Amino acid sequence: MANVFNKSSSLLRKFLVVSLLAVLLMIIDSFTPWLKPAYSAADNLVRPLYWIANIPLRVQEWSANSVTPRSEIESDNLRLTKESLIYHGQLQRMSDLAAENMRLRRLLNATELVQDSVLVTEVIGVSANPLRHTLTIDRGTADGVFVGQPLLDAEGLMGQIIEVHKRHSTALLITDSSHALPVQVLRNGLRSIAEGSADYNRLNLKFVSPTADIREGDKLVSSGLGGLYPAGYPVGTVLSIVTKPGDNFLEIDIDPSAEIDRSRHLLLLYTSRDNTADAVE
Amino acid sequence: MQSDNRGISVCLTLILAVVLTLMPLSGDWIVWKPNFLLLVVMAWVMRWPNGVGIFFAASVGLFADFLLRMSPGHSMIVFALCAGALSLVSRWAKYLSMLQRTLLMALIITLVAVLEASIFIVYGLPSGIEHLPMKILLSIMVWPFIDLSVARLQPNRG
Repeated sequence: MANVFNKSSSLLRKFLVVSLLAVLLMIIDSFTPWLKPAYSAADNLVRPLYWIANIPLRVQEWSANSVTPRSEIESDNLRLTKESLIYHGQLQRMSDLAAENMRLRRLLNATELVQDSVLVTEVIGVSANPLRHTLTIDRGTADGVFVGQPLLDAEGLMGQIIEVHKRHSTALLITDSSHALPVQVLRNGLRSIAEGSADYNRLNLKFVSPTADIREGDKLVSSGLGGLYPAGYPVGTVLSIVTKPGDNFLEIDIDPSAEIDRSRHLLLLYTSRDNTADAVE
Repeated sequence: MQSDNRGISVCLTLILAVVLTLMPLSGDWIVWKPNFLLLVVMAWVMRWPNGVGIFFAASVGLFADFLLRMSPGHSMIVFALCAGALSLVSRWAKYLSMLQRTLLMALIITLVAVLEASIFIVYGLPSGIEHLPMKILLSIMVWPFIDLSVARLQPNRG
């Protein structure tokens, strides 16, 4: 019996030591950046394991590609050729409109719109913590990636780079609860802030008054305010608007345009102010 | 020599747990994913209490904090608390049947999940409390496989 009590007190002492150490680490992490290198070290340490962890996904993709019938590939090819033709036509019209827009801006003595360029990247890992929405991509400082760089998929804004290593980087997604993004309603230019909700399929729109002109189905784009994200990129669509009696603001849910938890191939955005336009692929 | 082999086994199972933790999932499966690192550490604490104790569990917890990009110290305390509780009962836990061990783990996993959610709520972070029942259920379902695997690597040693 005495042995059991001795063991308990020894365990208690050990637990107290660990608890004190943990509290000390929490304080250090809250008030200093001293532990930042440890996050990078852990990231570098497990990087080869990301490749192993992605094997089932790669096998699934490979098998899906392997068993696709020839007729389906041919019809896909035909559809993509047609789409490419349509987009090329629209692009010609776009370049004409862009030139006209620039001429008008010059006439108004306004600043010219920047030409954005992109770099294709692939997702090599997603956050293991479901409440922290980050992902790892296969581009780093060697490719000119920098902290704060916007990240897109084919449908819309995905997030921004928060940590850069030589050959890989970590991006914070717009759905992370610590992320906020200045947006505007495409229909009327109403400005607001879209905050992450820790749900991959939802954003929350903040500080919109009950009298504001906003409807379900309205498209939201980045407003460019804050200087981090360039203006005009799709962010999401208004899903629901709830008015609660006594509340100063509406509760608005947004369905993100980007396929946040599904896209594998993404685009790193360079604007002319980044001076890295030559990184285009 | 046996101890060396056990050390290698612990490392290999932990690497496997990290791979499972990093494995990308979509939809709700992301938030339902069990905490494989914690389950593996607990299995080793039950099977090899003299080798895997509070300090080892706390070290793995600290690594988990960095891996999951949480504030360092959260998982460290949780892992250490679980290891401490299991060390106390490890002497008689090895005589329990699989069902009894699973029930014991169910209790610990539930307490851990509630403790973690409470820490998140205190910090004003999203706790994902609505996903807890499914996460706990999946963890309990996965546990016997982890326990049996560790038992194979650590047969009847104290």
